[in-house]
Amino acid sequence: MPVHDQMEFFIDPSRCIGCQACVQACGECDTHKGVPMIHLEYVDRGHSTQTVPVVCMHCDSPTCAEVCPADAIKKTADGVVQTARKPRCVACNNCVLACPFGVPKMMTDFELMMKCDMCYDRTSAGKKPMCATVCPSGALFFGTRERIETMRPRGTPVNQFQFGTQTITTKVSMMVPKYAARIEHIDVAAAMNEGSGGKSISLNILTAVYNAKDEA
Amino acid sequence: MAIEPVPELQIIDRFGPHRLYSKGARLESGSEPDRLVQTHCCFCGMQCGIQLKVKGNEVIGFEPWEEFPFNKGMLCPKGVKRYLQGSHPDRLLTAYQRDPDSPNGFRTLPYDQAIKRVAAEIDRIQKAHGPDSFAVLGGASLTTEKAYLLGKFARVCLRTSNIDYNGRLCMVSAAAANKKAFGVDRAANPWDDILKAKVIWISGSNVAECFPILTDYIWQARENGARVIVVDPRITPIARTCDLFLPVKPGRDIALFNGILNLMIENNWLDHDFIQQHTVGFEQTAEHVREWTPRKTAEVTGIAERSIRQAAEWWGTASSSFLMHARGIEHHTHGVQNCLGAINIVLASGRIGREGCGYGTITGQGNGQGGREHGQKCDQLPGARDIENPSHRAHMAQFWGITPEELPRAGVDAYEMFRRIGRGEIKGMLSICFNPMVSLPDTTFVKWMLERLEFFVVIDFFMSETSRHADIVLPGSLHEEDEGTVTSAEGRVIKINKAIDCPGDARQDWRIIQDIAKALGRERGFTFGSPNEIFQELRGASAGGIADYSGITYEKIEQNMGVFWPCPSEDHPGTPRLFEKGSWNPIAKGAGPYYFPDGRARFNVAPYSPPAEDVDVDFPVILTTGRVVSQFLSGNQTRRIGPLVDQTPEPVIEIHPLLAEKHGIEDGDWVRIESRRSVCTLQARIVTTIRPDTVFVPYHWAGRKSINQVTIAAQDPISKIPEYKVCAVRLIRQYDPPDYLKELEPQQ
Amino acid sequence: MSTEKIKATIWATLVTAVLARLIVLGSNNLTNFDAALVGYTFATLFAAFGITRRYALWLQRPPTSIYWKRGWSVFFRMFRPRYAVGNLITFFRRLIIDFAFTSFIWRRGKLRWAAHWFTMWGSLTASAVTFPLVFGWIFFGTITDDPGWYRVYVVGYPTFAFPIQSFIGFMIFHALVWSAIMVIVGVLLALRRRLRDHGAISKQQFGEDFLPLFLLFAISVTGLMLTASYTWMKGYSYDFLAILHAITVIFTLLWLPFGKFFHIFQRSAQIGVAFYKDVGRQGEQAMCRRCGEPFASMMHIRDLIAVEQQLGYNYQMPDSPVEHYQWICPRCRRALLGLAQGSLWAASPGVSPK
Repeated sequence: MPVHDQMEFFIDPSRCIGCQACVQACGECDTHKGVPMIHLEYVDRGHSTQTVPVVCMHCDSPTCAEVCPADAIKKTADGVVQTARKPRCVACNNCVLACPFGVPKMMTDFELMMKCDMCYDRTSAGKKPMCATVCPSGALFFGTRERIETMRPRGTPVNQFQFGTQTITTKVSMMVPKYAARIEHIDVAAAMNEGSGGKSISLNILTAVYNAKDEA
Repeated sequence: MAIEPVPELQIIDRFGPHRLYSKGARLESGSEPDRLVQTHCCFCGMQCGIQLKVKGNEVIGFEPWEEFPFNKGMLCPKGVKRYLQGSHPDRLLTAYQRDPDSPNGFRTLPYDQAIKRVAAEIDRIQKAHGPDSFAVLGGASLTTEKAYLLGKFARVCLRTSNIDYNGRLCMVSAAAANKKAFGVDRAANPWDDILKAKVIWISGSNVAECFPILTDYIWQARENGARVIVVDPRITPIARTCDLFLPVKPGRDIALFNGILNLMIENNWLDHDFIQQHTVGFEQTAEHVREWTPRKTAEVTGIAERSIRQAAEWWGTASSSFLMHARGIEHHTHGVQNCLGAINIVLASGRIGREGCGYGTITGQGNGQGGREHGQKCDQLPGARDIENPSHRAHMAQFWGITPEELPRAGVDAYEMFRRIGRGEIKGMLSICFNPMVSLPDTTFVKWMLERLEFFVVIDFFMSETSRHADIVLPGSLHEEDEGTVTSAEGRVIKINKAIDCPGDARQDWRIIQDIAKALGRERGFTFGSPNEIFQELRGASAGGIADYSGITYEKIEQNMGVFWPCPSEDHPGTPRLFEKGSWNPIAKGAGPYYFPDGRARFNVAPYSPPAEDVDVDFPVILTTGRVVSQFLSGNQTRRIGPLVDQTPEPVIEIHPLLAEKHGIEDGDWVRIESRRSVCTLQARIVTTIRPDTVFVPYHWAGRKSINQVTIAAQDPISKIPEYKVCAVRLIRQYDPPDYLKELEPQQ
Repeated sequence: MSTEKIKATIWATLVTAVLARLIVLGSNNLTNFDAALVGYTFATLFAAFGITRRYALWLQRPPTSIYWKRGWSVFFRMFRPRYAVGNLITFFRRLIIDFAFTSFIWRRGKLRWAAHWFTMWGSLTASAVTFPLVFGWIFFGTITDDPGWYRVYVVGYPTFAFPIQSFIGFMIFHALVWSAIMVIVGVLLALRRRLRDHGAISKQQFGEDFLPLFLLFAISVTGLMLTASYTWMKGYSYDFLAILHAITVIFTLLWLPFGKFFHIFQRSAQIGVAFYKDVGRQGEQAMCRRCGEPFASMMHIRDLIAVEQQLGYNYQMPDSPVEHYQWICPRCRRALLGLAQGSLWAASPGVSPK
């Protein structure tokens, strides 16, 4: 059964709290039991608690599939880019290196690439993917577009991403602020010059406190 | 003889903690469970609904329970992997007796013999030294039924006043403050009210790691237009993107609340009608906070004056609000004052007791709320009654069929019990659901005290660090092996359902307690056949009390997905929100919504005092402690679950780069943390997300990795909560890793 | 027809012609050829044509083509005197571990491995026996002076002889029985997984996943029935069974180039990939242009950039020192995704309506 076309995946890393519930739950899914497929990265733990969960974005034109020499990665009619077909994948790593989002995982032991398949055993049976079911912060959400729009009045979903001169359109959407000028795409490569985000401890006060104590 | 029978490493070799990973039916993607059992998570005070997949007598996995209204299927990593605590190689399947000649320190013995031995020792000690010489330690992860039974066991069967529980380390400051201000100890509002609040104030709570599901409520409120203010010495994940972050210096929260109240008064951001009609004591409190000018507040708290003014303005002018706090302001020698300060700014705003206007402490343990209401707290009787109140005593004595004179008086707090061991007043102890060797401050002292006991019996499902000291270990039940009720942090009474039977000789804890009573020859009142029978008695016992459960039944809980207490009759729907206008309670009897005879809430003057141990030249750094998301409390369960250990294998010390530079410490270096008590050597993680005068260490690990070797046993004079959140330390960079690195696995 | 297809068709024709010629030569101008097996022969020729055509088409896809070329250059480099011995050892070790024992499947799951290993070795032995027999490359002849012995002729030349009534004889004559049993065991194990495993159930398709199992099962069962018929049932419905068996085999041969069985031919790339990685590891490493850490071989990244360009992707970053998004490591790409989204929220003045 295909994934219901009304049900969509929306991610909002700005909500992520880095708890790894998604990672732990991902390994409970029957299409890849025991092997979590989702990535959860600290952007720069030294300077921020910012984390980012990365699931497969299911590109309209998946780079991973096209660079696969073995023709092992297929997109089903419902737009889900499936994990590598086991008989074909020769573990060449092309997909891992080519995916602009950094999604596929090389399982060296299995000589097999594995990647997030939106918990196909669940989503094709009308359930939500594990990660989006358990996510305690709403950073991962699976549901109708109508629902996300009523629940998240501040944001709007975007599914175009810019990498240098390449635009990639995806099945999975990412939440961006609605009140800003309309955002057409997320320029990922432009974040090269960004520092990790979030609050900082205002150092002028604290350094003063710190030094004063030191003198005493 | 509560001395570890053989060296620690030998006990660990047999009893763990070892890590368990999914295998067999738990890993096979073709396993069909026999049934799904709807129950709740065994860990924190959120009590998320979860469905356990059961095959045979094994929990093989979980399935989200999306219909349960609080968490709607959401879970944190602990909830996801909790199923791995069962069928664990470390699980105690028989009773054990201390045996220094056995290679692992313990030998098995038949259950009946173990019970007989326990009863004989209790009898011997109490006959020789009086009833109070035997003490009982309980825990807030027990179901309410077990907590009730344990309290009754101590008072009616053992006649000892020495019973207390690990909630003493949890929320007692908030409980005491709530009683002082509102006359009742329960979160005032259900979490749903967060969604409708326009300002959310979070003080001293690492919500994202300790209560992850609450994050969704807070983010959702922000979608609805709320501003979020976080007060914490660290930029926790919830603080990272909040609207206003106040990096408070540990131990100075009361100064902040007083400063905020002062600004509210100065700017007339007050609800005068509310203050006049529903409170007493505002004038004295207002007078007291006058000295807390923004400048002084900034000086003491280390927060920028500008931020304090901003917070006061947002809080003062909000149309609706929710203030929540947790251990961050409660684990202090002035923890009660901190909470009173928080309550003062809530009362001054008048935003309580209505939709979208709320206040609550976020109770940390699974049954932190229910576990304290029905009688394992040293000064409390069932129904949240006061053990020193003559009419409450008389009521419960009659209910239990004893005379009020026979009912023991108030005992002392859990930590004081250990001091009493030192003074020779306590000779024997029974401990269940408590791991003081990890969770109490100054664990070296705790160890010495345990070693002086003549007899120590522990009921546990794993050989915890504490049970290594036991003379007898009785195999108790895991969460999924018993049924009963718990009360979540929002006051919702919910039902825990049994998924599997106890393996081997293990017994449900309430059966073990009853077996001991029987062996003592005092089984009257301890012949319950099921948790529901205990619950029926508990309902009766709580009737007419403050925490009135009399209208709650198991069926009603399951039909309504939980019932909020007070629920005084079977046709009563329960009380999600306290203090609503016109609400009735057994104290005010209609005079007002608060639990005092006049029905009014109390402002309390909350004077600032520095922590018991402030920094000085010798110990110049503030140490604060807390949790990480993948571990729970003393780690007796979570340090045995492989994937959770892998997520955070060992404790690290978080140090700001400025402080690290001063000590020549780099990321990954080993650091010796020294206090006046003891030392602990851990790896450094250099982060700018903490105040430069403060270091942070999580407390879930045991032995040489336990930061509670270093923490101070100073306690709040009212609530007796230890000051885990502030003590003075010094840091010394180490060039060699500590011995434990080679000897122990990360979780051990 | 596109150039790729023309090329592929030419190759396919060539290979088919060579095979046909070999059949004629190997069977001593068809003197040793059993005319009853002509259906099998033509099906095999068709399969050879189909497989070669698909293989040739596949090799011309940009990513495959680059691996193909690199593979051969690596292969020839392998046999330079300096490396030859070491590389040959590695080559045979990989051949044995990866192909003979399929150890990587063992690590994916024991039952799964058993299913595959039995099916694979059953099919391989059966093919090794059947094809030479069908082509007339091997035949058994009685020895004139001792009717109790058989001699094996390979492409017309006599080789060893064995007594008919012996253990060896029994084993040789029943080689197809043993392979059929192996295949059946493997297929049943695989079917069990397909019927139980929730993950497999959600993704499997009839043509891709069940049909090959049914075909192998049908070939094996009809083959066994043939044996049963002439061994115990005095040849009861032997002709009908022979036709049934032929149908299953011929259908499988015709289907070989299209479905799952094509992986048998594709898989050889695995060894090439392993050597490509060896060479990559020994050469210069690509450093991530964000975090500075090595993350792949320089050769691999350059090849991938070339492939992406051929495929029409434009991951170039013209105004940046990074030059091409391919020079960022996967971990940093994930971090950048978070940073990009986070900065939009941080920069947006209206995010928290105040």
